[in-house]
Amino acid sequence: MKVSVDRSVCQNHGQCAIAAPEVFDIADDGELVYEPEPSDEFEADVEDAADVCPVQAILVGSAG
Amino acid sequence: MTVSASRSAAPYFDISDPAFSVQSEQVRAARDASWYAETNYGLAILRYEEVNRLMKDRRLRQGSAAWPAHNGVTEGPFADWFASWILNKEGDDHKRLRRLLNPAFSPKLLASLVPRFQELANELIDAFHDTGHCDFVAQFGEPYAARVIAIMLGIPEEEWPRIAGLSTTIGLSLGVTIKDDLPEIETALAGLYEYGDELIESRRREPRDDFMTRLVQAERDDDKLSHQELRDTLALLVFGGYDTTRNQLGLAMQAFVRNPDQWRLLAERPELGKAAVEEVMRVNPTVTWVTREALEDFTFQDIDIEAGTTIHLFSESAGTDPRVMAGGFDITAERPPHFGFGGGAHHCLGHFVARSDMSEALPLLARRLLEPRIDGDATWLPLSGNTGPTRLPLSFQQGTKR
Ligand code: SF4
Repeated sequence: MKVSVDRSVCQNHGQCAIAAPEVFDIADDGELVYEPEPSDEFEADVEDAADVCPVQAILVGSAG
Repeated sequence: MTVSASRSAAPYFDISDPAFSVQSEQVRAARDASWYAETNYGLAILRYEEVNRLMKDRRLRQGSAAWPAHNGVTEGPFADWFASWILNKEGDDHKRLRRLLNPAFSPKLLASLVPRFQELANELIDAFHDTGHCDFVAQFGEPYAARVIAIMLGIPEEEWPRIAGLSTTIGLSLGVTIKDDLPEIETALAGLYEYGDELIESRRREPRDDFMTRLVQAERDDDKLSHQELRDTLALLVFGGYDTTRNQLGLAMQAFVRNPDQWRLLAERPELGKAAVEEVMRVNPTVTWVTREALEDFTFQDIDIEAGTTIHLFSESAGTDPRVMAGGFDITAERPPHFGFGGGAHHCLGHFVARSDMSEALPLLARRLLEPRIDGDATWLPLSGNTGPTRLPLSFQQGTKR
């Protein structure tokens, strides 16, 4: 699957890192880092992350 | 504590003085002079940039956990409940709860409730529309906030006065008289637990496609919320959701009474409802400050902050900081994010609910109550902590019937 975060709206709240810790993380400098092509096994978590992002910055697409 | 030269020169506020206001000239002047002020309880952060950075700084924890203990309440049902709040948890405990609770607050689930929110707003307005005046708090803010909670939880809406009453009593716990009020507070808490137990029981028996069922079924990686965690959380949701929404709606009316052209614009363009909520929460948030506590010694900008220091992030002062917010109250302006819902790991769980119920209510109010004016004596909670009107008499011209 593919994941992208719109950096122009992301506010580094880190809610995505709580919902899907294998895919999203807040680095020590406070900025979001994420895996753009995570394994499908994390799909449910990633959907949750997209859902809870306060600014709805996360876009989830299917692989390919 | 060692006070560096620059720190002792900072502005000073007595934030325990009942007359202290976060919106005062004193705070404005301090914000011009300095990005922070000293107070009798730690530091106050005044400007947008610094509030934004410290809100998300992981060297700080949420600062409210010690409140009951500070006021001599160290054990009993209330102290236990307060300690259970997700807001008062940190690290892995916080992440675990957040992860279990978040899915219930899905914006998708909420979207299905929008027509009900609109109908509710219209029903409440119908009751006073023809008279040309109302007490906005008693006739709109309170019933709307309480009934939205009833809708979310699937409680009969007629029970709203009970929800409102219990929440108001529990609200006494955030005041300095908490110790005297404790017996009353604990009775109200037991009342909320009773509700919670019934709801949990009913959804276990008969699951539905609703918020409550999602909470009851919340499960991640073989982990579940225990019964006690569920009832603690429900009590917090009812209490937290009621007070803040009621206050924020009253503050919204105040902001629009002061800006009649914006009210007319909102009536013409209901799609600006969402933007209206953001603009109101920027200039007139009910949560006037968010408290944090330093977990370690560190240097931030030009000052040394010691572990244990209390830090108040002034939401309204940051939201109206002229360094980043140009112009006055304008629901069509593009703005950087405000801090009315806090931010970082503790960003308000219920923000989608609050955003969606208020953004439905405000445009309907704007279409039906034209040229609102404050007509009579309004009464207010203190302008610190969580604020808002407790009575807000309005007169208006009648607009659209429905
Ligand atoms: S939850 Fe949204 S705003 Fe927060 S870090 Fe993730 S993408 Fe950014």
